[in-house]
Amino acid sequence: MKALQIAFKDLTVLFRDRTALLLMLGAPLILTVGLALISGRMSGSSGPAFQNLPVVIVNLDQGVVGGQLADAFSSDELDDLLNPQTAEDAAAARALVNDDKVVAAVIIPAGFTDAVTGAKESGAADRIEIYANPNREISSQIVTAVVESFVQQVELARVSGQVAVEQLLAAGLINPQEAAAVGMRVAERSVSAQNSGAAIRLVSAEKSTEPEQDFDMMGYFAPSMAILFLMYTVALGGRNLLAEKETGTLGRLVSAPISETAILGGKLLGIFLVATAQMSILILANALLFGVKFGDPLGVAVLILALAAAASGWGILVAAIARTPGQVSTIGMALMLTFGVLGGSFIPINNMPAWFNLVSKITPNAWGIEGFIALGYGDTLPQLAGTVAGLFGMAAVLFIVSVTLLRRKNLMQG
Amino acid sequence: MNKILAIAFKDNFVRFSSPGEWLFFLVLPVIFSVVIGLATGAQTDSRIALLVVDQDGGELARDLIDVLQDSKTVAVREYLLSEAEEKFRERQAPAMLVIPAGLAEAQAGGEEVELQFTEAAGNVDAVAARQAVQAALGSLGRALQAAGVSLTAAAEIRPFADQAARDAFFQDGKDKAAALFADQPERILVTGPAQKAEEDFWRPNTQASAGTIVTWVFIPLLAISEFFALERQLGTLRRMLSAPVSKAVYLLGTITGQLGTALLQMLILAGFGTLLLGVSWWHDLAATLTIFLAFGLASVAFGTMLGTFVKTQGQASGLSLALGMSMALLGGCWYPLELFPEFVQKAVLVLPTTWAMMGMNDIVLRGQGLAAVLPEAGALLGFAVVFFTVGVLRFRYE
Repeated sequence: MKALQIAFKDLTVLFRDRTALLLMLGAPLILTVGLALISGRMSGSSGPAFQNLPVVIVNLDQGVVGGQLADAFSSDELDDLLNPQTAEDAAAARALVNDDKVVAAVIIPAGFTDAVTGAKESGAADRIEIYANPNREISSQIVTAVVESFVQQVELARVSGQVAVEQLLAAGLINPQEAAAVGMRVAERSVSAQNSGAAIRLVSAEKSTEPEQDFDMMGYFAPSMAILFLMYTVALGGRNLLAEKETGTLGRLVSAPISETAILGGKLLGIFLVATAQMSILILANALLFGVKFGDPLGVAVLILALAAAASGWGILVAAIARTPGQVSTIGMALMLTFGVLGGSFIPINNMPAWFNLVSKITPNAWGIEGFIALGYGDTLPQLAGTVAGLFGMAAVLFIVSVTLLRRKNLMQG
Repeated sequence: MNKILAIAFKDNFVRFSSPGEWLFFLVLPVIFSVVIGLATGAQTDSRIALLVVDQDGGELARDLIDVLQDSKTVAVREYLLSEAEEKFRERQAPAMLVIPAGLAEAQAGGEEVELQFTEAAGNVDAVAARQAVQAALGSLGRALQAAGVSLTAAAEIRPFADQAARDAFFQDGKDKAAALFADQPERILVTGPAQKAEEDFWRPNTQASAGTIVTWVFIPLLAISEFFALERQLGTLRRMLSAPVSKAVYLLGTITGQLGTALLQMLILAGFGTLLLGVSWWHDLAATLTIFLAFGLASVAFGTMLGTFVKTQGQASGLSLALGMSMALLGGCWYPLELFPEFVQKAVLVLPTTWAMMGMNDIVLRGQGLAAVLPEAGALLGFAVVFFTVGVLRFRYE
């Protein structure tokens, strides 16, 4: 009971500290807002907003193919995606890219139609130039994909026409005078056949684990930032423990009718309670502010408890190892950032080598993010058993080691 | 001058007497670089895993898998149906493709063939994998399509004598088309304002290297505010009043020390960027040094200004980290700015981190030189003037 009182007192004191609140709650929420902007959440879309990409077209070709490509950029199909404009010469278009006004310049060379139709030999100068803006790498790749798709159609038409003419001539079905007209007709037919659908069709079905549930990107971003700053909070708890030893308040508690075990238990419970409160507030705030779907509430609650326990274990271990409150702050901050990098709070680690993923398991971040992603996909508490057990196991080991070290340290002797 | 250098030396001596400082100065940024290198480097297959079940086993199915294996987007993992389903359930891959038995026969008979593609709901990687499969089908189907159109044209002129003649004509057309597609000339050339070799141009590492430098140099420089807060708390600033040191000399000394260290840190991290991530920082040394210096000045000035607003070391420490990380994220250090909505891209021009990233990207992404980075360097120096002015006006010893 006394331990509980000490824990609640510590919780109250920390939540009155405005500087601590800034880092415990303010910073992760601000960073989540930034990530929400990337995820498209703040603009109401389901992903990064790639719309109305400004692109400049320079058509130096006098033939039909160049005109078709230029027209394709203004087609209804690409209306939302691209915002095309035209320029008279390549230098002006490149200047727009250099000034970061457009994502790319598409320069169709003179004689492109002749090169494609075989009216002249195709050379290096007959290539469509995509002068891409390196500051808009993803956007310019989208423009490149649009041009590639058009070129594929053009090539299909060219090859279809050529194959048909060769085969029909060889079979004696047409005479050389008819070749050009037949080639053109077959080329047109091949393009319309392509547009009406491929002979091999892909039937796509969306499926997640049962029950069906869409994954929300914010279900990764929001817990990532919350767990990152959870490590700050537990280090702060550890720092306060040593600060109380240094200022002698712990020593004074010993003279009160409270056992040393209850004092230490209360202090450690306080760290766990603060961590639990921080994670709960952040998860709730993300759900309310950004509409993040975290999934099964019971699973979320248990995962928060497990995460708070494991993170608290690390915070207490730092306090047990460090000699001064300042050292706890430094090591705690380093631990927070290192775990953030290793555990996937900054960069998703699912594509990392196997050994890296193994190393990441020493961080509560990796387990926690994995758990939140699983919940986001629709998993429930029973399926989360491994993750929760991993976190509580980590907490138990760290707690035993830390308490042993703290007892050796004579924490109560100020 | 001696006084300025003495203060600069003293500050750095105090700063680096703590082993923890080395963590922030060098160890963590290098870990960060290594992780980014692992995530984006060539040694890792960062393609999206695609589970493929080949129930057909024929030549056409093999051709499709070969095309997919050459994809830059997906990495093919072939399994039996039950194994693939199990791995999909365990989320070891976001998508699964099943090629049904009888693919080649159905295709030869002119029937439409359906391949089953199962993707994790709402998963961006799964969408990318689907597009890669569709592109592969498009590429593979082109030869078949060209042969099919030729076959139709021939049949319209004179029907085939029998199925064998039809099949032979189709096969001949397919082979001819495949040969022509294989020899098709390059129709697209992607260029850009980079002066470097094209293979160095589109590397995600370049953004990561610049982002690492801005993030890890900016946060410690904001922490200069901790110096002021600590010295004010300890009373050492007040004691300066009795020393023959003016406010300007004191500030210059502190700033010089931190700026020098930050420049050294940036050069070391750029070196690691070159070694670990293959990023070229050195094709125009003057440009790199100019942008580093301008960014260092703007950051240290911001830290100085911040130091005049905080009361305690704890406040300074918390604010430095919170502001530093937020400004790094919004400045485009972690994710490219183009992912942000347009109004945000404009709004973040009020942050020095945005200008620093723009300047550094000019160098490493665009391969540009001194002239190109002067506007960004000018903006950063403008920030420095404003922040210093506010900082000096608000600076108090007590």
